[in-house]
Amino acid sequence: MTTAPFPDRPRADAREKVLGAARYGADFAIPDMLYAMQVPATVAKGRLTAVPTAAALRIPGVVRVLTATDFPPPAPAIPGAGPPPSMIVADIAYRGQPVALVVAESLEAAIEGAEAIHPVYANSPFATLINSPGAGREPAKRVTAGDANAAMARATTRHKADYVSPAQHHNPMELLSTTAHWKDGVLTVHEGTQSSNLVKGALMRNLRLNAEQVVVKSPQIGGGFGQKGSVQSQTSLVARAAMLLGRPVKMVVPRGQVFHTATFRPKSRHSIELGADASGKISAIRYDADHQASRGGQFGPDYHEHVPQMYGVADYLGTGADIRIDTQDPGYMRCPYPHPAAFAFESAVDELAFKLGEDPVAFRLKHRATVDPLNGKPLSSNFLNDCISEGARRFGWDKRGLAPGSMRLPDGTQIGWGVGCGAYPAITHVSIATLRIRADGTARFAVAGHEMGQGLRSVLTQVLVRDLAIEPTGLELAIGDTSAAPQHTTAGSWGTASGAPVAAEAAAKLNAAMIELLAGRTVAGNLHQQLAAIRRPYLEIEVSHAGPGQGVKDLAALRGGGYAIAGPEYPDFTTFSYIAHFVEVRVEPRTRRIRVPRVVSVVDCGRVISPRTAESQVRGGVIWGISAALREATDTDPRYGGWLNNDLADYVVAVNADIGDIEVGMIDKPDPQMNALGVKGLGEVAMAGVSGAVANAIFHATGKRLREMPFRIEDLL
Amino acid sequence: MHAFSYARPENALAAVQAFAAAGPGARYIAGGTTLYDLMKLGIEKPEHLVDVTAVPGLDTIETAGGHLRFGALAPMSAVAANETVHREYPVLAESLARAASQQLRNMATVGGNLLQRTRCIYFRNGAGSTSTGNIYPCNKREPGTGCAAIGGQDRGQAVLGQSAACTAVSPGDWPVALVALDAHVEVLGAGGARSIPIAALYRLPGDTPDLEFTLQPGELITAIVVPKTPIGRLSTYYKVCDRESLAFALTSAAVAVELDGGVVKQARIALGGVATRPWRATAAEVSLTGQKLTPETALAAGRAAFAGAKAGRDNGFKIDLGARTVADALILAAGRTSA
Repeated sequence: MTTAPFPDRPRADAREKVLGAARYGADFAIPDMLYAMQVPATVAKGRLTAVPTAAALRIPGVVRVLTATDFPPPAPAIPGAGPPPSMIVADIAYRGQPVALVVAESLEAAIEGAEAIHPVYANSPFATLINSPGAGREPAKRVTAGDANAAMARATTRHKADYVSPAQHHNPMELLSTTAHWKDGVLTVHEGTQSSNLVKGALMRNLRLNAEQVVVKSPQIGGGFGQKGSVQSQTSLVARAAMLLGRPVKMVVPRGQVFHTATFRPKSRHSIELGADASGKISAIRYDADHQASRGGQFGPDYHEHVPQMYGVADYLGTGADIRIDTQDPGYMRCPYPHPAAFAFESAVDELAFKLGEDPVAFRLKHRATVDPLNGKPLSSNFLNDCISEGARRFGWDKRGLAPGSMRLPDGTQIGWGVGCGAYPAITHVSIATLRIRADGTARFAVAGHEMGQGLRSVLTQVLVRDLAIEPTGLELAIGDTSAAPQHTTAGSWGTASGAPVAAEAAAKLNAAMIELLAGRTVAGNLHQQLAAIRRPYLEIEVSHAGPGQGVKDLAALRGGGYAIAGPEYPDFTTFSYIAHFVEVRVEPRTRRIRVPRVVSVVDCGRVISPRTAESQVRGGVIWGISAALREATDTDPRYGGWLNNDLADYVVAVNADIGDIEVGMIDKPDPQMNALGVKGLGEVAMAGVSGAVANAIFHATGKRLREMPFRIEDLL
Repeated sequence: MHAFSYARPENALAAVQAFAAAGPGARYIAGGTTLYDLMKLGIEKPEHLVDVTAVPGLDTIETAGGHLRFGALAPMSAVAANETVHREYPVLAESLARAASQQLRNMATVGGNLLQRTRCIYFRNGAGSTSTGNIYPCNKREPGTGCAAIGGQDRGQAVLGQSAACTAVSPGDWPVALVALDAHVEVLGAGGARSIPIAALYRLPGDTPDLEFTLQPGELITAIVVPKTPIGRLSTYYKVCDRESLAFALTSAAVAVELDGGVVKQARIALGGVATRPWRATAAEVSLTGQKLTPETALAAGRAAFAGAKAGRDNGFKIDLGARTVADALILAAGRTSA
């Protein structure tokens, strides 16, 4: 297999997206369709005692109001699998929880009907901040290597501080939505999801359907970011309505409700102590993390996902805890653990370097990791130092004054340069794919995966076009469709590391099948023309792919709709992707506005398959890192619960005018142990460490160390 | 969203009559950028909409005489792009250009903008619509229910002009600039036409924060009139936000100065983002008169502008930031001399 870099090629679906022709979940309009709107609970905790529906039913166009009694009882538990999202139930666990679903002939009638429902609640006391009375602390498993306490005791220099990352909400342009159609005993659901397989499984369990009765289609997603990785709470409600009414039902969840029912990034606290030995290297790490959790949620405090492996430190002690309060379930939001963890850890590393009088780049370069301290296995590829060195070169780091506050413009504007690094586990999943080449010039590749704008269609196109020597125009990619191929959640940066290898294996198998079919004949032209010449309408192969250490059991799990990932620890090695970010901030002399005119980011994600979409992913991660560091936070008023700033005006994400130049560099060195193409993963690592770099740059500009995000204008006044 | 009836009369008098005929549930609508938003939030529930966009001649921009006269239906974007406004009164052009988005500025009218309602999150998100589902007490929305912002998250709330009933900020940029330039508002009502000094259009919240404007029921804003003044040339609208566009002001300052050899002959200073109404800072203006304009005197004027300010729980920074914003604005405005 070739190891040459892939060429730059336009995004596979760019044209249809620009033309508005790409179809997203809510774009599917089905004849005779009804519209639904859910009614959010206005209390933070309690029990529904009555849900009067008469007023809603009087509104012209309202067809039906579904309340708790219209739904099956909770699904029976399955060992090893979490429960599917609950449907409408009488117990209120968080403010905004759906308490009724109004179905109507028009969206307007559905909204009016929903607003006419005023349930009666029996209120209960609640806790909605992690320091509220009634919050419950639940320790998680420790992460340890060596003896951090002994190493810390021997350390000659120490740094200890607490860092805080706020609650944040994903705000993809595409709102959550479900369009459900029950016809001839089959439920078809269109929705933007990164997990068509999990959605299918949840529908089967909640609505007591078998595998043949459920099809979920998610061909395009208008931004996933983990919000659409978990099964969404509205899906079963809408599907139930479609089944009860025998008509298609669509619901698009309003933005303010999305804030209340979708998962979110929980507030987290990071207490980090670093020790350095006489050689001036980090010799011990103690890291206690806790975060906000729902009462029964499964999203654990796994903030030690990348920190132990970053800098080759043998002695590590990490703890974690859930702080259970009355909110909806937090969950995965882009770069879920390394974003807050790298903010905290990269800030701490900078603070230690400053204490030691060291340049932050030189200090990091002294810490090249070769072994995973948690298991003793070698790191299969680690080009972090290349990222740092190349980034520093491009950024012009050698012109940086070491002392904080030493760089400023004539008008008094302070300039700060900061570095921050990150890593993310390289993960892969099993795939079963079919590839069909037709004589008419078209082809179809059906495989697990979801296109959420990250570029999976571009990645698959790159590999198939190269290995099959066909044109991309006639190539249909059937992804995100449970009726096309066994589907797997697309998240955790494993899409390319799973999809690209199986595409390459499919192409190789098809090419081999063609050679066999030709049986020694020499036929001119490409595959389509060869098939036409020998009068075969098509040639199809099926192929399965497994990651290192994966096998029959994992393929069976995939076929059963389950989860089958491996990594970052594999039988013989551990693998991460790495990135180094260099950030310039400027702080205005009087108003203390913080501006970010330029960023250089250099990434080691193994082989880059689609340079265009890969660079776009890194830019997106950098922008989000800046936005997270300087702007984004969701506020709760503990007297009421729920979320206060639940729209795009008051949940402040960065705008174009906040973002300067972002230069992206790719190391583009394959990791051949990971897979034959050498792909690791990119989407998540892109954001890891950006916020730390911003914090470090602000310190360099002003001499003030900010340890709680977001850093706002008032923090520097 | 509730059902409502709708009419689109073709002259101003007919609009006023249609409003009167419809009774207390009527609302005028022009660009709809604020009313539709408030309807979706469940704050406004009009029973009858009187669409004034078919009224002819209400969108003209006149700059020839002794006044600038902006028809109430002129889009924000058109006034911002007007050459005379841009050149002679940058404070006006900038106050419009720094507001909202291009799309909104194309739809929103300069008359309707005067009546934009507060961005207080408890006011906006607490009406129980399906778009948020939240319910918060709010004296402005439902008189007598209380104020959730007092004792709550008040980072965005006012530090000037607040009462025990309400701390909501007057959100506009354009009204602040108009207050600095002593504009008048022409209105037409059942009792005929009248002209109101812009500053007198806005009430302090006091015990009745639900009453925000001094317009009589059914009065329609027809024009905004700004007396021409040479002070407009050295002016700016300086706005500090949580992001660089698509945001309301944390603090803003509309300033204009007349200089004589670096000495301030006259200054105009109005504040946005910090007060319960567009806030003219007369004491700050007086403090500058006769002074050489330096970063120090500019900051002193800024401090004077906030002399009576009162902080809540999270918004104390606005007092300091607001003073600095005034200082930066003054230096910027004066800097236009050399341009």
